[in-house]
Amino acid sequence: MPAVRNEKWARNPIDRLVLARLEREGLQPSPEAGRATLLRRLSFDLTGLPPASAEVDAFLADNAADAYERQVDRLLALPQFGERMAMQWLDLARYADTHGFHIDSARDMWKWRDWVIDAFNRNLPFDRFGIEQLAGDLLPNATVQQKLASGFNRNHMINYEGGAIPEEYQVEYVADRVDTTANVFMGLTVGCARCHDHKFDPISQKDYYRFFAFFNTIAEKGLDGKNGNAAPILEMPTAAQASEVAWLQQAIVEHEAALPEKETQPLLAAWTVTQSKTRFATRAEPPRDGLLAEYTFEGNLADSSGNHRDGKMAKGTTPFGAGRPGQSAAFNGEAQLEFPGFSAERFAVALWMRSGALGEITVLEGGPGFDIGVTDSHPQPNDKRGSPLYVEFAGIRWHSDAIVYGGQWHHVALNFESGHPRLLLDGKPTRMLEVGKAERTPTGPVTIGDPHHDKPLKGDIGGLRIYGRALTPAEAEALALHEPVRYILAQDETKRTKEQNQRLLDYFLKYDAAPELRRVYAELNELKSRLAQTKQDIVTAQVMAEMAKPRDTFILGRGDYRNQGEKVTPGVPAMLPPMLKDAPANRLGMAQWLFSAQHPLTARVAVNRYWQLHFGTGLVKTTEDFGSQGDAPIQRDVLDWLASEFQSNWDVKAMQRLIVTSATYRQASQVNAELLEKDPENRLLARGPRFRLPAEMVRDNALAVSRLINRSIGGPSVFPYQPPGLWEELSRGETFTAQEYRESTGPDLYRRSMYTFWKRTVPPAALTTFDAPDREKCTSRRLITNTPLQALVLLNDPTYVEAARALAQRALLEVGSDSAARVRFLFREATARRGTQAELRVLLDLAQRQIEHYKKDPTQAAKLISIGASKPGNVEAVELAAWTTVASTILNLDETITKQ
Amino acid sequence: MDITRRHFFSRGSTGIGMAALGSLLAQDGFAGTETTHTGGLAGLPHFAPTAKRVVFLHQSGGPSQMDLFDYKPSLDKLSGTELPGSVRMGQRITGMTSGQSAFPVARSIFKFQRHGQSGAWVSELLPHTAKIVDDLAIIKTMNTDAINHDPAITFIQSGSQQPGRPSMGAWASYGLGSENRNLPAFVVMLSQAQALNPDQPLFSRLWGSGFLPSNHQGVRFRAGSNPVLYLHNPEGIDPATRREMLDAAGKLNRMHLDEFGDPEIETRISQYEMAFRMQTSVPDLLDLSKEPRSTFDLYGPDARKPGSYAANCLLARRLLERDVRFVQLYHRGWDQHNDLPRDLALQCKGTDQATAALVTDLKQRGLLDDTLVVWGGEFGRTVYCQGKLTETNYGRDHHPRCFTMWMAGGGVKRGFSFGETDDYCYNVVANPVHVHDLQATILRLLGVDHLKLTYKFQGRHFRLTDVHGEVVKEVLA
Repeated sequence: MPAVRNEKWARNPIDRLVLARLEREGLQPSPEAGRATLLRRLSFDLTGLPPASAEVDAFLADNAADAYERQVDRLLALPQFGERMAMQWLDLARYADTHGFHIDSARDMWKWRDWVIDAFNRNLPFDRFGIEQLAGDLLPNATVQQKLASGFNRNHMINYEGGAIPEEYQVEYVADRVDTTANVFMGLTVGCARCHDHKFDPISQKDYYRFFAFFNTIAEKGLDGKNGNAAPILEMPTAAQASEVAWLQQAIVEHEAALPEKETQPLLAAWTVTQSKTRFATRAEPPRDGLLAEYTFEGNLADSSGNHRDGKMAKGTTPFGAGRPGQSAAFNGEAQLEFPGFSAERFAVALWMRSGALGEITVLEGGPGFDIGVTDSHPQPNDKRGSPLYVEFAGIRWHSDAIVYGGQWHHVALNFESGHPRLLLDGKPTRMLEVGKAERTPTGPVTIGDPHHDKPLKGDIGGLRIYGRALTPAEAEALALHEPVRYILAQDETKRTKEQNQRLLDYFLKYDAAPELRRVYAELNELKSRLAQTKQDIVTAQVMAEMAKPRDTFILGRGDYRNQGEKVTPGVPAMLPPMLKDAPANRLGMAQWLFSAQHPLTARVAVNRYWQLHFGTGLVKTTEDFGSQGDAPIQRDVLDWLASEFQSNWDVKAMQRLIVTSATYRQASQVNAELLEKDPENRLLARGPRFRLPAEMVRDNALAVSRLINRSIGGPSVFPYQPPGLWEELSRGETFTAQEYRESTGPDLYRRSMYTFWKRTVPPAALTTFDAPDREKCTSRRLITNTPLQALVLLNDPTYVEAARALAQRALLEVGSDSAARVRFLFREATARRGTQAELRVLLDLAQRQIEHYKKDPTQAAKLISIGASKPGNVEAVELAAWTTVASTILNLDETITKQ
Repeated sequence: MDITRRHFFSRGSTGIGMAALGSLLAQDGFAGTETTHTGGLAGLPHFAPTAKRVVFLHQSGGPSQMDLFDYKPSLDKLSGTELPGSVRMGQRITGMTSGQSAFPVARSIFKFQRHGQSGAWVSELLPHTAKIVDDLAIIKTMNTDAINHDPAITFIQSGSQQPGRPSMGAWASYGLGSENRNLPAFVVMLSQAQALNPDQPLFSRLWGSGFLPSNHQGVRFRAGSNPVLYLHNPEGIDPATRREMLDAAGKLNRMHLDEFGDPEIETRISQYEMAFRMQTSVPDLLDLSKEPRSTFDLYGPDARKPGSYAANCLLARRLLERDVRFVQLYHRGWDQHNDLPRDLALQCKGTDQATAALVTDLKQRGLLDDTLVVWGGEFGRTVYCQGKLTETNYGRDHHPRCFTMWMAGGGVKRGFSFGETDDYCYNVVANPVHVHDLQATILRLLGVDHLKLTYKFQGRHFRLTDVHGEVVKEVLA
């Protein structure tokens, strides 16, 4: 340790090293920051949240010599410590909730994220933290948690663009793992060596591909992620789920044994023969009483009711194809069919339909003024899309309670009588809800396909029947359930498809077999659907898992997957110490090598990032690049000393404690012109750190001081307020997940920002405005900008308006009616310090003017305080509105969003 | 710290006092006309720029070159015949058609005519563009490395097929700064497809700042009540209250600045004033009510529909008038794998008039001379048919080896056609222009040497054109 003049100042070796440099430069350290400021700084750094006023009070009142150290220990022990540390790690690990390329549908990696939080909270030593994330799956007798940890290197983007070439993307995934691993653990930028030998650092192209080989043998597909997670996947059932699955599987086996094919097939065969000729055939006939028109689309538009109401192609063509039960007409969005119009007091329309559209479509309209269609489709459970039917009739618009699914056949029977439509969907009566006025009252011909060209029909239509009376439920059931079976039975047995035979069996076992068989079959179906649901609910994560037969790795000319050159074996870059002698020649051996005593980089890179976390800038400014092109460390001796300390035990909490208990960290952050001139970026640390909070903390601070915050830890990501349309304007839509933003409700609106659902192609707008990354790639430092768009967020985003109102309400309820006391309270809650007289005067003036203002305009007050999902308490609206503007002003102060 | 001080809005705004601000607002609210140079790098531009601003009309999905600009009468005879291996030359094709058993050549069913003094061939689908061909430099030999949307559109916007690099507009903002104190240097607007088949997604990385500071990312202007996110005061806060809140915050921030001395506080104060000015300048910019009827005659009736391509083209002109550096439009829906005759016609109908109107409008206002207009997609389409080829219907897959883009104004040749493709419209025969060449050329027109506009990240000096790109001197006027 170097000699210093100001011995007294140094609290630990960091300080001696920092001070020695300051003294060489002719600089003096700053005095210690005020206690309130210091506790606020420390709370943000160790928990990401501001201190509560009571915590500040306790610290101010604590006269013990180690009062500060005890605050450090208190904060390190909080579960929010894990969250705070995880925030930095999620950037490095390019954690997100979607796959990132093209379709950008959802994935579930939150279990991995929760592992990270937990690992920090239980102070898992950094070497184990790293080894489990790089190769947890390869550890002997790996636990579920260790396998889960290996999800670190499955956080990369994954492609499911139709037409993309799998080999191309599989190489990109491996390259991403290489870049991320080298960057996060060694501060090396090896990407250059993918195409050629590194120009500046001694990393050859061969080194690159030998390192690449460690990550190239994962049982993954180049194109994946269509439905959630991409293989390899780790299933993590709860104990209850695991036993439920086992039980259901056993029960299904037993039920299937009770319905052996050798027994059911002869029964079915006998049934098909008798039923096709006898009772069933007549029972299942479409009713003909009152039939006005019938179109079966058997290659033409003829009316088979005998009423000669043949249809015609009005526009385009509708190819005829297989439908249900018989033929159907296919609509491409342009075609239109027209059938003679009719008028009737009471009538019924029945048809088969399969919608292929996303937006609202008109299916058919005309006659006595009806318009039947499907509303905008939305994601439904089990990766389906669906939407209610709409019906417009007699000037009113109704939506169905039941959902019709895209790409699935449905039978629709609608009775129109007494001005009401009554819907029987798939043979079952279902409610229609009145939603508003009708847009149209078409009375011309019956038209399938939208004649107005704004809700074009894409999909298939079959079996259209119009009746001059209402259908009974039994008749609707006959049309929906029995008639299709009758149709199959009427066909030549030898021409039935496999699917048709399956449907016959299903029908037979459901409706016409002996009671005992029907019971077993009903139970079997119930068990199967429960099993599917239970499996659906089991949480999974993408993890690393080796292929049974490992993929070979080749040097790729110019990094292109098509140019395979020399075959290589896994290995570490030649410029670094070799792997341990007895270590396995795989990812696990590589991970152990990173944490070996000989490795010169791992500890340095890690402590440098901790330094960045607390001081804003690393000792090596380029935390991502320790190579020859990176910045030289400003104080190499500090870096070396910290690294050797860290390497001795890899104790993460102890390392934070060491840094934040230093006198260097505890300095005040005021700066004068001279210091600004000599050290504008505060690299030498003659003053404490001062910089704007990271995006997450800007929001979390507002949620915390307003007490809106929901402190639950972990779990699936959430959807806080976001301006409408941001996802939808960019996304592909269709049946994919994460294409439409569905705002959370209730407490999920107020979760900490790190739990915000991170869609890579449209990352959370209010967070990216404050420099949060899109998480497409590993990010080791965020650049801090200062823009007017940030001002707009803090002033106008409902998140902050609601927080201001909730904070104001606290002032009203907790302080009493004295305006000066309220101002003092608000200022202190937001900044942790007591405002000066001059500061409080400014706010008091504002409060008084705004009270006058809202008294004159109470409707404005009512509007302001109703922003946000939470409801204002029992306080006077004018007062609350006025104080909301004061609280909002305070939440917008530079000091409020700054760690200083 | 120097990074945080490069804002897309001015450092120079620092020190505008409350009184000065009052007078600024007292001018007719048309703060957007104020032109001052801010930001940008020392030493730039490298050359005298011929384009001060750029509007890039990106047609997302890949418009079909042989149905729009690259007239191939040779295909009439070849239609229905198998694409020869000697033409395809092992070209990799996407997973969507690689399984096809045949690759029949599909001619265009659309009629072509020569137009203007330059005699450029243009399809009947683009009657309005046909009228401005004498202002265009049409490049028929664009080519790219990617064969699917995500990598191809990322490539043309950022110079790399893989994510992580800054977009073209972000580079322009970073290098050249802003000419308007009250508007972002880089503005992005989207419009939705007319085509009926599903369209391709877009990604915010396409206008992202990559490793550059995030203030260089494109700012989206959207249709609807909040054209810039969070622009408007919440309900219940009127402008007078907002002003009082800002005055109070300004005073407190200034007191804090006196106490702490951190210049970031000063910047914060000025950014809040800028935000306040934007609340006036942006709605003013978007207010089309004072546009004469002739404007809507020119751009077409769609220009009255917020969020339409035509409205975005009109807004682009208003942004360019106010010296916004880089305006990027994306129009979705040009991915005609099937039903090309129907869907391509719909796309053209939805865009042709407004595209031509923008060029005409800029020209009438004398802005075309120093404004560069760029039109095109991320790749072209195959001459062979995807799906079933009939007399009236066909589809086309993605094609990277040749496609057509055009540029106008800003120092490019007028009535000029560049490059030649083979009889199959499959390969380039003469004068290829790679995506990196196009990027180098756009930068060159802005007065920037693409080799010298770099940013050091992860130990490497990155540039828009990666390690490639040559300025296409032939198209420079």
